[in-house]
Amino acid sequence: MRSAEMTAEPAVRQISFSFLRPSRPTLVGALAVLAFLVLWQVAPSMGWVNGRFTSRPTEVFFAAIDIFRNDNFLYHAQISLTEFVAGFALAVVVSIPLGVLLGTSKIARYLIDPPLMALYIAPTLVLLPIMVIWLGIDMAPKIAVVFLGAVFPIVLNTMAGMSEADPRFLRMARSFGATKFDIFTRVLVPGSLPALLTGIRLAVGRAVLGVVVGELFVSQAGIGYQLNLYGSAMRIDRLLVYALVVSAFGYTLTILVRSVENKVRDWRSK
Amino acid sequence: MAQIEIRDLGIDYRKPKSNEVFSAVDSVDLSIEKGEFVTIVGSSGCGKSTLLMAMAGLVNLSRGSIRIDGKEVTGPGRDRAVVFQEASLLPWRSVRGNVKFGLEMQRWSGGDLNERAMQMIRLVGLGRFSDYHPHQLSGGMRQRVNIARALAVDPDVLLMDEPFGALDAQTREIMGTELLRIWERHKKTALFVTHDIDEAIFLADKIVVMGRNPGHIKEVINVDLPRPRDEAVLDSEPFHDLRKRLRAHLAEDMSSMQLVKEVA
Amino acid sequence: MIAELFYRRQALILGTLSMIGLLVFWQIAVDGGLINPFFISTPSEVWTEFLAQFEDGQVGANVGATLYCFVWSMGLATVVGIVLGMLAGWFSDVEAALEPFIWFKYSAPTVAFYPLFVAWLGYGTPTIIAIAFLFALTPIYANTLSGIKNTDRDLARAARSFGAKPLDVFLQVALPGSVPVMMAGLRLGVGRALTGVVVAELFGANAGLGYAITYYGQLMQTTKMMVSIVIVILLGVILTQILSFLESKTDSWRVDSGR
Repeated sequence: MRSAEMTAEPAVRQISFSFLRPSRPTLVGALAVLAFLVLWQVAPSMGWVNGRFTSRPTEVFFAAIDIFRNDNFLYHAQISLTEFVAGFALAVVVSIPLGVLLGTSKIARYLIDPPLMALYIAPTLVLLPIMVIWLGIDMAPKIAVVFLGAVFPIVLNTMAGMSEADPRFLRMARSFGATKFDIFTRVLVPGSLPALLTGIRLAVGRAVLGVVVGELFVSQAGIGYQLNLYGSAMRIDRLLVYALVVSAFGYTLTILVRSVENKVRDWRSK
Repeated sequence: MAQIEIRDLGIDYRKPKSNEVFSAVDSVDLSIEKGEFVTIVGSSGCGKSTLLMAMAGLVNLSRGSIRIDGKEVTGPGRDRAVVFQEASLLPWRSVRGNVKFGLEMQRWSGGDLNERAMQMIRLVGLGRFSDYHPHQLSGGMRQRVNIARALAVDPDVLLMDEPFGALDAQTREIMGTELLRIWERHKKTALFVTHDIDEAIFLADKIVVMGRNPGHIKEVINVDLPRPRDEAVLDSEPFHDLRKRLRAHLAEDMSSMQLVKEVA
Repeated sequence: MIAELFYRRQALILGTLSMIGLLVFWQIAVDGGLINPFFISTPSEVWTEFLAQFEDGQVGANVGATLYCFVWSMGLATVVGIVLGMLAGWFSDVEAALEPFIWFKYSAPTVAFYPLFVAWLGYGTPTIIAIAFLFALTPIYANTLSGIKNTDRDLARAARSFGAKPLDVFLQVALPGSVPVMMAGLRLGVGRALTGVVVAELFGANAGLGYAITYYGQLMQTTKMMVSIVIVILLGVILTQILSFLESKTDSWRVDSGR
C-alpha cells in the first residue's frame, strides 16, 4: 500500500483552559520557551553573541508594533495572501478531479503515476526560474509555484483514498444492488475524505513555502520581498517579525485543517 | 419445486500471480424450501462462504447453476440480502444511516425511508442508539445493525456469512436467540454460514455439512428440534446426538488436514 | 503469452509508455511550432546540451556541489534528528520541552529565515547546508520520536519480566522496533534535504544545480536550464528510491504486520 505520507508529526495537544493546574508537559514546554526567550534576551548583553546578528525578543516585539502600524504591512500581506489563495484554489480545482480519475481508473493510474510520482518527490520549486521566464516577475510565477507545490499532495492522497477503499464495503454495497454511481457517491467519496484532507494539510505547508520562495527569488512586493529587504539591510528584528507572521499563518492553517481532519477521522478510530 | 435450487455448482479461482486454478467449490447440489432456516458448517477452507457469496450473486460461477424461485442468479438482486461478518458497516454513517443504505439502493426516499429504518432498528433492539456511529458500539450491537440493514429491504432470502464469528461465546449465544426471535416473525428463508457446531444446530431446520479439497457437501442433516427454541435446547438429548455427529464430520476433516501438513 | 506478460507488468509497461509519449509529445509540439522553443526547449536539444555540459565538466561540478551540501545536511539532520528523537521518545520531559520548538519549525517555512542565515553565515555552502539541515530535520525527528514512543508495551513488559533494565528495554526492544519508522523518516528527510539544498542554491551559490538553474534562467537560456532541472528531478527520484529500498529491507522481518 502506498498511503501518501507516513509522517508522524507531533500530535496536537488538546487545548485546555485549566490554567490553574497545567499538566506537566504544558508546564515543561512553557518553561522551555521562557528559558529560550530569556537566554535570547540576555545573551547579547553578556557578550556571548553579537546582538546585531540575533536581535532581542523585546526589540522584535517593538519592531512588530512598528511594522503593523507604519510598514504598509497590510499591503504586502495582501499580495502574498492573494498569491497563496489563487495558487491553492487552482490546485484544489485541478487536483481533486484528477485524483478521483486516477483513484477510480487503474489504466489512468498506471499511465500518469510515474511522472506524477517524480514531480511529487522532486523539489517542484526548481521550476521557479522557468516559471519566471514563462510568466514574468509579477504574481503569476508565484501562483504557479504555489499551484505546483500544492497540487501533487492532494492528487496523490485523493487517489490513494479512492483506490484503497475497503473491499468489504464495496462488496456490501454491491450486494444491495448498488450501481457504480452509488458506490462512488456513497462509499468512495465519504471513504476518501480523510485522505483528501491529509493531502490538503500537506499542501498547505508546500504552498506557504512556495509563496515565500517565489517572493524571495524575485518580487516587487509581498512578505517575501520584505524578508529580503530587511535581510539585506541586516534589520534582524524586522526580518524576524515577517518570518513569524509567515509561521503563524502556516501554523494556524495547518491546525485548522487538522482539526477538521480529526473530526472526519473520528469515526475511523478503531 | 424448492425455492432455491443449486445444481452441479462449481466455482474455480485463479491464484493471483500464477496460472494455477483451484476449485473452491465443486459438484454441489442443494435444494432449500421456502421458510427454511439452513445452516452451513465446515472447517475453514471448505468453501462455505464462497457458496453463500455465489447465492448472493457476488461470485461468478464456473459450472452449474443457482435458481431462486425459478430465476437464474446472475448477480445481486432485491430478492436477497446479505448479513456480513463484522466491519461491513460504513464507519461514517450512524446506525440509522447504515440501516438506510440498502433502502437507498432500492430508491426508497423521504419519510418512508426513515420510518422503515427506525422500525428495523427497534426490531433489533437498538432504538436508543440510532444516532450512534459503529465505532461507539460493541461487536454484538454492530451485528444487530448488520441484520437490521439486511432485513430492511425485505428480502425473500436472508444470507448470513458467519455474522457472529467475531463475537465472544456469550454474546454469540444471546445473538443466536435474538436472531431466532426476529426470524420467527416472518420466517424468511435463511442461510447461515458458521464454523460453530452448537450455533449450527441451534438455529437450523437443516444443516449442510461441507468438506474440503475441493469444497463439497458431505451430508445434509434435518433438525427436528421443536420451535420456538431457547437455551434449554442446548442440553437436550437430540441436540447432543447431533453435536456428536457433526463433531465426527469435522474431526475427519481436521485429521486429513493434519496428514497433509505432515506430508508437506 | 504477450497478453499475459502485459497483464502482469501492466504498471511498468504503461508507465514507461506514458513517459515516452510525454517526451515525444514535447518534441513534436515544439517542432510543429505549437510551442515556442524559447519557453521549454526540446528533449533532443536538452539531451545534446546535457552531453555538452557533461563533456566540459559542468554537470559533474554542479552535481558534485549539490551532493556535497546534500550529504552534509542530511548527515547532520540524521544525527541530530535521531538523537533528539530518541531522547524525546524516551524521556517525556524532553519531548515536552522540545515540542513548542518543533511545532514552530514544522509550521514555519524554513526559507523565511534564509536572509537570517545569510546574515549569520554569509552566502554559499554553510547557509545552504543550514537551510537543508532544517528542512530535513523535522520528519527524521518526528518519526524517531513516534517510533520510540510507540514501543510495543507487551514486548516491553515481557522484557521487564525477564529482568531487563530500562536501558536493556531501550536497546533491545524500543530501538530495533522503531527502525522501520525511522527509515521512513529518513526517506522523507532525503526529499526535503534535496529541496532545501536546491532552493538555497537558487538564491545564492557559486556552484550546484540550483545555482545553474538560476544562472541560465537569468540569461534566459532555457535549454541549459532544463538540463539541471531534469537532473534535480532524477536525483530526487533516485535518492528516494534508494531509501525506499533500504526501508523495505529493514521492514522485511515484520512478517505479520507487514504488507
